[in-house]
Amino acid sequence: MLVLTRRPGESIIVGEDIVITVIEIKGGQVRIGIDAPREVDVYREEIYEQVKQENLSAIANAEQVRKAVQES
Amino acid sequence: MIDKPTGEQTEHKAILEKSLHFPDGLPGLPDLENFVVVELREDGAFQQLQSLDNIDVSMIVCVPWLFFPDYAPVLSDLEQAELELEKAEDAVLFVPVTIDPDSRQISLNLLGPFVVNATTRKGRQLVLTGTSYTTRTPIELPPIETPGS
Repeated sequence: MLVLTRRPGESIIVGEDIVITVIEIKGGQVRIGIDAPREVDVYREEIYEQVKQENLSAIANAEQVRKAVQES
Repeated sequence: MIDKPTGEQTEHKAILEKSLHFPDGLPGLPDLENFVVVELREDGAFQQLQSLDNIDVSMIVCVPWLFFPDYAPVLSDLEQAELELEKAEDAVLFVPVTIDPDSRQISLNLLGPFVVNATTRKGRQLVLTGTSYTTRTPIELPPIETPGS
């Protein structure tokens, strides 16, 4: 992993058109601003992971759910 | 000669009419772009979202408002533009249904709803931000209501 040190107000450029800026550092939290083209989706990792895991679980257990909803 | 359609043919036709395209796939399953929706119950409460790219992949979905009338996910401008959604009425929304294999508790994933443009049949799964909705919101299964009962 590439590790860079940045101060508030400083940025990182990813590719041609993604700019990530450190806005503020306060109380153990970092506020980050992201400028990206509209076709690029930006998510908090843990939220995206939750939805992804839940999809895999919904698929793995589809047959059980189908039975449950059809027998209620 | 046109035969009277059998139940199977009728169902097949209904499936084809409802084929959906998710250009970005799903989170965790980026290659699955094409789906059909199959009704699972007479009362229309639950559906099966069946992949056309991998016949072994499907999940159960439902319209969340039957259980959570106040549910109101917000689409970003980008998501609205991507789905070419001009009016809220054009949007069809459903959410994944999961089961806990141990407790048998059925839950809805309110954090990752599917939104489909009813006209273009183009859709995507949203990953909501800035909400208190969760991926495992428990529900009680409603008894099947048959029409006319």
